[in-house]
Amino acid sequence: MSQHTVAAFDAELKELRAAVQMMAATVDTQMQHLAEAIEQPESDAAQRIVAMDRSVDRMQADIEETIVQMIARRQPVAVDLREIIATLKIIADLERVGDMAKSCGKRLLVMGAPGRQAETMSTLLSLANQARSQVVDVMAAFTARDADAALEVWRSDSTTDNLYTALFRELLTYMMEDPRNISFCTHLLFCAKNLERIGDHATNIAENVIFIITGEQLGTDRPKGESPTGSVVR
Amino acid sequence: MTEISTAQKLEAGATAVSPDVRISINNLEFFYGTSKALKGINLPLYANQVTAFIGPSGCGKSTLLRVLNRMYDLYPNQRAEGEVLLDGQNILAGDVDLNLLRARVGMVFQKPTPFPMSIYENIAFGVRLYEKLSKADMDVRVEQSLNRAALWKEVKDKLTSSGLSLSGGQQQRLCIARTVAVKPEVILFDEPCSALDPISTARIEELIDELKADYTIAIVTHNMQQASRVSDHTAFMYLGELMEFGHTKAMFTRPQNPKTQDYITGRFG
Repeated sequence: MSQHTVAAFDAELKELRAAVQMMAATVDTQMQHLAEAIEQPESDAAQRIVAMDRSVDRMQADIEETIVQMIARRQPVAVDLREIIATLKIIADLERVGDMAKSCGKRLLVMGAPGRQAETMSTLLSLANQARSQVVDVMAAFTARDADAALEVWRSDSTTDNLYTALFRELLTYMMEDPRNISFCTHLLFCAKNLERIGDHATNIAENVIFIITGEQLGTDRPKGESPTGSVVR
Repeated sequence: MTEISTAQKLEAGATAVSPDVRISINNLEFFYGTSKALKGINLPLYANQVTAFIGPSGCGKSTLLRVLNRMYDLYPNQRAEGEVLLDGQNILAGDVDLNLLRARVGMVFQKPTPFPMSIYENIAFGVRLYEKLSKADMDVRVEQSLNRAALWKEVKDKLTSSGLSLSGGQQQRLCIARTVAVKPEVILFDEPCSALDPISTARIEELIDELKADYTIAIVTHNMQQASRVSDHTAFMYLGELMEFGHTKAMFTRPQNPKTQDYITGRFG
């Protein structure tokens, strides 16, 4: 796309994109720490996730301020307007992803190392990795302005949903087997739910990336994974 | 592109009933001597709606406006080809009564142009060219017109003062009052706010919004925000061609033509 006549506007848009990428990278680091915290309960990864949340919040506030200034001073229209409005929504989703990761981190801290069941933790790790790859992929689509890649992420949410459903059933079984598992399993259920929500936020971001590029809103029928028993509410 | 696409109609929330076409421009070409300034323009102007013309300097938007009331006839070596139908009548035909046409299609210019006479006479002068009214009827017409132009309250106690004594914004509204006094069907605004301060501009924009209930309005403006605020439809012109025409709501959020996008986002022009 050609340059604006007012070069300062191009510079501002460039800075805005860089700030969003920085925020996405920080959230991704939280997600990496989360995987580490699941795999290595003795590490301090969970504390690091919690500690990073404030800087994610601050980044969101700074980007919001930049956007308010740009709307007030540049009165963007067409593709510029779409980018700025969508970015405002994308950073809100990223901030929520950070919050979800923090919430998981706190629960993993409370759970501690003893009593973790390797098989369950392995499924949780798969779910965390799947949710993380959704966020990484959708932000790559944002950077590359790639609507097809964004659509791919949008469609892949059902994989996350299916992993969540599988873990939900697994945890339910453990709780029924031995009531002493209930405390541990409840924490993991909340973690699983948070990770499933992270997938939903990635899906929101995908919709906004597509909106920037095409100006079209995707339909309300999101891809949903199986939920055969009706006991899993997403 | 002269038709509004289905997507744009949906975007703008258009109802099933299309608005009436008051002016239909068909294959319009315009020449300054041998130089072609308008190339194959096809465009409807809808009744009781505001159509904005935008585009960089020299794109032909003011030329197009001047065709709509045959203003170009005042100058030698200027001619229009094609068809401009006003309620089905081709106004480019040789037998058109130009005085009557200019009463039906009024025009407000960039700079306020009050006559050097009283406020009252500024309105009455034009009316007398077309109608013989009694003093009482003329008084009513002057008051109605000034009311219509949202100026009555400010000038009712000084109707005998010179029109030139008013502020720029008031003078522009006086010109609008003068235009509506002869009961036109269409009003053309050629950058009506470019010489006005922001408050006067806001008043004129408010007025345009009110006037469209009774008139078909076309406005040429360099101010994109103004086009997006006041118009229902927008036509983007470039180098004498109509590049895109559509609902304003859609044009400023998702224009179809890359040239339109570049222009309205400030990437050229």
